[in-house]
Amino acid sequence: MAKKKVPLKELCFARSGDKGDISDIGLMAFNEKNYQILKKQVTPERVKAHFKDWNKGAVEIYEMPNILSLEIVLRNALGGGATKTLRLDQTGKAMGNAMLWMEVEVD
Amino acid sequence: MKKVRVGAGSAGWPDMADPALVSAERGELDYQGFDHLAELTMAILERQKVRNPTRGYIPDVIPLMKKLLPIWKNKRFKIVTNGGGANPEQCAVEVMKIAKDLGLVGMKIGVVTGDDIPVKQLDSLRAQGIKFKNSETGEEDIDRVKDKIEAAYVYIGADRVVEALNAGADMVIGGRLSDNSLFVGPFMHAFGWKYEDEYWDRIGAGVATSHLLECAGWSTGICSTQWEKVPEPWNLGFPIAEMSENGEAIMCKPPGTGGLMSEYTMKEHLVYEVHDPQNYLMPDGIADLTALKVEQVGDNRVKISKAGTKSRGKPRPKTLKFCLAHADGFIMTYIMVVSAPKALEQARRVEDYLQRRLKIRGAKPKDMLISYVGINSLHGPAAPMPKEEPNEVAIRFAFKADTEEEARLYQNEATLTWYAAGVGAAFTAPDVRPVMALWPTLVPREAIPTKLEMKEVK
Repeated sequence: MAKKKVPLKELCFARSGDKGDISDIGLMAFNEKNYQILKKQVTPERVKAHFKDWNKGAVEIYEMPNILSLEIVLRNALGGGATKTLRLDQTGKAMGNAMLWMEVEVD
Repeated sequence: MKKVRVGAGSAGWPDMADPALVSAERGELDYQGFDHLAELTMAILERQKVRNPTRGYIPDVIPLMKKLLPIWKNKRFKIVTNGGGANPEQCAVEVMKIAKDLGLVGMKIGVVTGDDIPVKQLDSLRAQGIKFKNSETGEEDIDRVKDKIEAAYVYIGADRVVEALNAGADMVIGGRLSDNSLFVGPFMHAFGWKYEDEYWDRIGAGVATSHLLECAGWSTGICSTQWEKVPEPWNLGFPIAEMSENGEAIMCKPPGTGGLMSEYTMKEHLVYEVHDPQNYLMPDGIADLTALKVEQVGDNRVKISKAGTKSRGKPRPKTLKFCLAHADGFIMTYIMVVSAPKALEQARRVEDYLQRRLKIRGAKPKDMLISYVGINSLHGPAAPMPKEEPNEVAIRFAFKADTEEEARLYQNEATLTWYAAGVGAAFTAPDVRPVMALWPTLVPREAIPTKLEMKEVK
């Protein structure tokens, strides 16, 4: 079957928050099949490339098979953190939504 | 099996009071926890206390208690709050006046202190060989910012909360009690859990459940991926955990309230600000959030149970989170809105103009950010450019400056960028604010002695 590219918003929900300069993005897959796609295709390299110079540190991705979710942790990713950042979104609440633009391949 | 009902009363400062009062009235609560502190709140309160020694606690606690205590008079649940902020003693004095006026003679209040470290004391901690390595930047110690530190506070655990409740406290007032401990404390007290090997699984479950409570409405539909399905957000119900002795919880909310308690509102909170979900570090224990099962078991009822045989918890960390706040220059922000036709082209021209003006003025800002609200201010480089010409673009200028004078220079040039825009630019008010920066670090638990004082309304 031919593969097609779709944005993540078609596969999962996303919610993000902050602790200092760290951005935490949770992706909650709609089902097991989508979770497997997220697990394979949402890699630290791709996340780093997605946020370009907004993410200045390492990216870690943790699996939560019990709730079909991924926890993405981006270090040095909020312009210095809520009190110091120049960004309008001081606490990175929209980082999850920003993540949903990323495209993955599906059958 | 023994069960208790623990409700959330607040997620920060400010928050709505009415959902907390509804929970108190109709939630059949045994305990209610109130978190009032965000990352920077303690520094703000510390500044208030420096100006006036009878301040420094969360002022909203007073009007809240005036409404809550008359309900408490009939319901007699236990209250735990960190609204004491930088001055729990004074907060207790004020709350006791309210209790006395309501005739609540005999009400017992536990006051927890020791989390708020006087700046002078930092030297004696350093003399013990403790280094305050910045856990974000890796900087080894605080030498560079030492003279600018205005507040220092430790996120303490539930030890003293449990002690106060064991001593019969009706209310516990603390300062930087960690949000999580406001709820773990009641669980440990109710079930007799101790910081010992046989309890870490259950304490881990308690830490996880507390996480689902501590942000109050954030678990019942605020800032939710489910927002389109959340009924009556104006009549929001705050979460309540019906906790069993084995650590299994039914998450619910008071009858007749809006908001939503669903599998997704629980999942979206289990992924919220937790970093490594197998090691969710809190002062009272380390929770493994992957060891939990989440299932809808009724209307607005979600069960959080043990998924398999894996322990839900591990022993509490040997260190505590320690936050130092220091002054760190100024930030200037300004928004100007340009109008179609060719709004985006005007925005780019304005940006180029400003760069040239700064060069002429010889200004070299340490950091600056120009973003277009409606296009890329929230998603930054991850945002695709719009395919169609927008009706208008709000250009947002943000500058970092070492001094207020430098910030005013940026304000001056940013507000004059309309010289370069076309017809139809609209202005807003510029803002210059002093920056309080946080220096997150860790401190050995034993270096921070805390204190409990029991008081009684006479």
